[in-house]
Order: sequence, then C-alpha cells, then structure tokens
Amino acid sequence: MRSSTIPSAKAPAIKRRRIRWREQIPAWLFLLPALVVFAYFVWYPMLVAIGYSFQHVSLVGESTWVGLSNYQRMLADPLFVTAWQNIFNYTLLSLVFGFFVPVLLALMINEMRRATPFFQLVYYLPTLIPVTIALLVWRQIYAPEGGLLNSLLQMVSLPPQLWLQNPALAKFAIVIIMTWAGAGGTVLIYLAALQDIPMELYEAAELDGFGPWQRVRYIAIPNLASKMQVLLVLQIIAVVQVFAEPMLLTEGGPANSTLTPVLASYRIAFLQNDFGLASAWSITLLVVLSIFSIIHVWASNRNS
Amino acid sequence: MSTVQRGILSHTEARSLGGRLTYWLIFAFLLALSLAFVFPFFYALTAGLKNSAEIYRPGLNLLPKVAQWKNYADAWQRFNMLGMFRNSFAVALGGVAGQLLISSLAAYSLARLKPVGGKLMLLIFLMSLAIPGIAYIIPLYITLVRLPILNISLLNNYWGLWLPYSVSAFAILMLKNFFEQIPQDIYDAAAVDGASPLRIFFTITLPLSRSILLILAMLSFVGLWKDFMLPLLVLREASLQPITVRLYTLVQNFPQNLQLAAAFMAMVPPLIVAFLMQRYMKGGMLLGSVKG
Repeated sequence: MRSSTIPSAKAPAIKRRRIRWREQIPAWLFLLPALVVFAYFVWYPMLVAIGYSFQHVSLVGESTWVGLSNYQRMLADPLFVTAWQNIFNYTLLSLVFGFFVPVLLALMINEMRRATPFFQLVYYLPTLIPVTIALLVWRQIYAPEGGLLNSLLQMVSLPPQLWLQNPALAKFAIVIIMTWAGAGGTVLIYLAALQDIPMELYEAAELDGFGPWQRVRYIAIPNLASKMQVLLVLQIIAVVQVFAEPMLLTEGGPANSTLTPVLASYRIAFLQNDFGLASAWSITLLVVLSIFSIIHVWASNRNS
Repeated sequence: MSTVQRGILSHTEARSLGGRLTYWLIFAFLLALSLAFVFPFFYALTAGLKNSAEIYRPGLNLLPKVAQWKNYADAWQRFNMLGMFRNSFAVALGGVAGQLLISSLAAYSLARLKPVGGKLMLLIFLMSLAIPGIAYIIPLYITLVRLPILNISLLNNYWGLWLPYSVSAFAILMLKNFFEQIPQDIYDAAAVDGASPLRIFFTITLPLSRSILLILAMLSFVGLWKDFMLPLLVLREASLQPITVRLYTLVQNFPQNLQLAAAFMAMVPPLIVAFLMQRYMKGGMLLGSVKG
C-alpha cells in the first residue's frame, strides 16, 4: 500500500515531473503567513531603502527622483567622515579591549571545575539587561561629581576625569559599557568550544611532555581559532551599529566624538525629516555591513 | 556522582601545590572581575536605597546609613513601573508568539510538505540574516506609518511591533532542521489515520518540539524585551511604551536615588528569567551563536 501512495525516493526524476498539486496547496498555505510578514517588513522595506536613497521623500505628497543628489549631500557633510572615523575608532577600541577578554575568561573559567557554572552565569547576567536601563546606572558611575569612578580616583589621589565630556575618553567609556554588556555571551561560546576539545588530546600532549602553557598554546587556542574568527566579524558588525549608547549617554558629543552613522541617520530622518538623505546613509551602512556579513558567512562555512 | 571534567591542567597537576596555587589565583581573579561585572546591579540597588543627601555626597560611600526602602515604593508609583512592565511583557510576548507560530508553520511546510521552490524560499528567508535590520529601519518605519495595499497605520499600535517581530529566518531554519529529525514513521502513522496537515502540525509536530520551541521562545523574549529602536519609533504615545523606551526619558527630572531604584527594579525581570531558565540558557546561547 505504501509504495502505491508514496512516490519512491529512488526515482526523483519521476517525482519532480509529477507535482501533486493537491499537496502543494497546504504547503504554500503553511508558508503564507511567513511570506506576508517577510514581504511587508523585510523585502519591501529593503527595496524601498534603495529607492529612497535616490529620491526626495515626502511622507504626505509625492516623492520625486533626485538622482545622486542625496549621496552627494551625504559625502559633502563633514559629519559623514566624522561618524565613520568614529566607528573605525570604536571598532579598534572594542577589539583591543573587548575581543580577547572573553577568550581569556573562558580559558580561566574552564579551569574552575565545580565553580564553572557559577562564573558562567555571573558574566552572562549583564547581557540580559536592556541597554537603556544599564545606561541609567552607568551614567551615575561616570558622573563627573559624586560619580563612582571619580570617587575611586579620589581615593588614590588621582584627578577626577570628565569621562563622558572629554572627547578623548568618551568613546572609551562607551566601549567599556559595550564590553560589559557583551562579553558574557561570547564567553559561553568559547567555553563550549573548549569543552568540545577531547580530553585525550591533553593527555597525549602531557605524555609528550607538553607543559600547561604549551597545551594552551598548541591545543586550546588552535581549537578556538575558528570561533574567534567568526566572533571577530560578528563583533565588528555589532559595533558598527552602535546607537543607543551615544544617543542617550552623550548625544553624539562632545564635539561629535561619539557620533555614529546610525545615530546620524536617525537624526537626519526623524529630527530633520529628510528620509532621502537618511536612506543614503542607510545604504552606505548596508554596503559596509554586507561586506562583513559575507565575510562572516564565508568564515563560518569554511569552519564548519 | 559524576566526576568533574578535567581542564587543561590534569587532575594530578591540579592537586599539586603549584596547581592549587594557580587554581586559587585564577579563582581570586575571576571572583574580583565578576564582582566588577555585577557591580552595576549592586550599585543600582544600594544607591536606590540612599536618601537624597547621601546620593550626591562625594566619596566612596557605597552603602546608605539607613536603607530608604521608601524610594522603591516611590519610584514604583511615580514612574508607574507596573504599567511599563505590562507594556514590555505585551510587546515581548506578542512578538514571541507571532515569531514561533509563523516560523513553525513555515518550517513545517519546508521540512514536511515540501512546496515546489521551497529550497529557494528558504534561501530568500535566510538572506535577511545577512542584512542587519538597522539598514532598512527607515523604510520599515514608513511602511508601518502606512502599510502598502492595506493603507492602515500601525503607529501607536502593538501590531506595529508584533508583526515585524514575527520575522525570524533564524527560527525558521532552526525549526526546519528540528522537524526534519522527527522520525518519518510517526508522520506515516498519522497520515494512514487520515489526519490533515494542520492536525498533524498541532497534535504531533509542535508537542514533539517543545524543547526547541522553549529555547527559541526564551532567546527571542530576551531579545525583544531589550529592543529599543523599533518601539522608540513605533510607539510615540508614552502610555504604550515599554520600559526600555519610557524609563530613560521619564526619570530625567527626578532625583538620582529614585532613578537608580527604578533602574534596579527594571533589571529584575530579565534576571528572574535567567535564573528560571538557567538550564536552557547555555543551549540557547549556543543556538544563538549560529545567528548571523
């Protein structure tokens, strides 16, 4: 009975020719809700974003095509260079301060035997806190007067700093928050990779006279390398999109030193109502992020 | 009793004097750093307990002389925290429900009903993972201001968040892979009994997928609870806004001790979720790490 109702898997050519339309209808009906939400909230806006970047967009009247003028205005704006320079610096800072922290933490937590789950949880907690709530607290920590950091500096007789008001420090202050908020999740990924390493590798290395450091250097790190590559790209993608921290904490200042492309395009769109110009910024972001996304997909495929 | 897995150090090495010394050094370091990691929580809690003179006093006075629990009651009432929490729950739960329903229907279709062109569809769904939402948030906003064809506005309406939140190529992919692993025999038996695809989906597929649905629900709940940009744009009416959008602007003109008391209360629900779901957290995170 089975063979008569279910087409044999061994004859895909025949199966393909005989599409059973009665089964196609429920298949597409099941798919329909997803198609509708993707069409409305992903595919359509994506196409529109490209269109808008070449238009003068009006929410009430007709939009008019203006060619490349949005892009010309974007490039002529000194803030464009500032925002992207800032993002470059943010990324560098976050890689210097944020990238190796989770690797080291994972290596150390992995050695903690019974205490491993505890540390895992503690470092993970900040990742659960919405950024706006965390910023309420961080603002007090960084406050110029009565702020916690400056009180600490005072205790060791160092001059207080204007953490968020000094262009040289503001980016750094934000990167610290981002590291605090993100490191725990990454630690879990590295920990899992460490725990996937077969114990026999370490035991064999011991027999060959490898000391603990050599085991870290020649076994643990190479086994983490593929994850590190992927997470490096993910971290860059995340940092390029920084928005809430500079928007709420520093308003892009001082002297635009914390301004980011997302914040700039948010202002152009929603404060200046210039959706065309803002879309040109978005498309620029899209191109930059896509490059990293492609690298990410390539890196994760190569590693799996 | 399960034996503890060895780390890079072997058990013998760990038991030696040097090993123990290393262990306690690392332990002390990790403990100190973890105190720094949880410090903002602690700081919000204790600063929220200070009176209005103490909070502005310079110097490192971490603990209040007399704990002002009244601040918490004050903040709770003045900021209408209950209302904000309710909004946050409504936004996140609706998004989670939409995402799971729509993604599992689509995944079931792709995994079991095999529509013609299903592989291509999956690829087109997955494309959205490579393009961060921030790149098209402006046209998304304009779409929500006036939905094409239907010509309705979803501004100041939770549907304006629930529907965009229902989009998740990641959930579709994870569920499709999971559904494909459910043994064919179970489906064959149901098909022999004459069950319709919808019936099979609700009575067999979904109950068998509870574990992955739970993990996906938790991941997206935390993500949606934290979301800031889209609710900021969609919900202009203060009474509708979730805590992520409302609290920061609301507290600006209030004393710092009230602000921090409110911030601490706002931190509690995600932490409760974390403790309840600790068992699933790691699996969830690892699943999340695949996300692009």
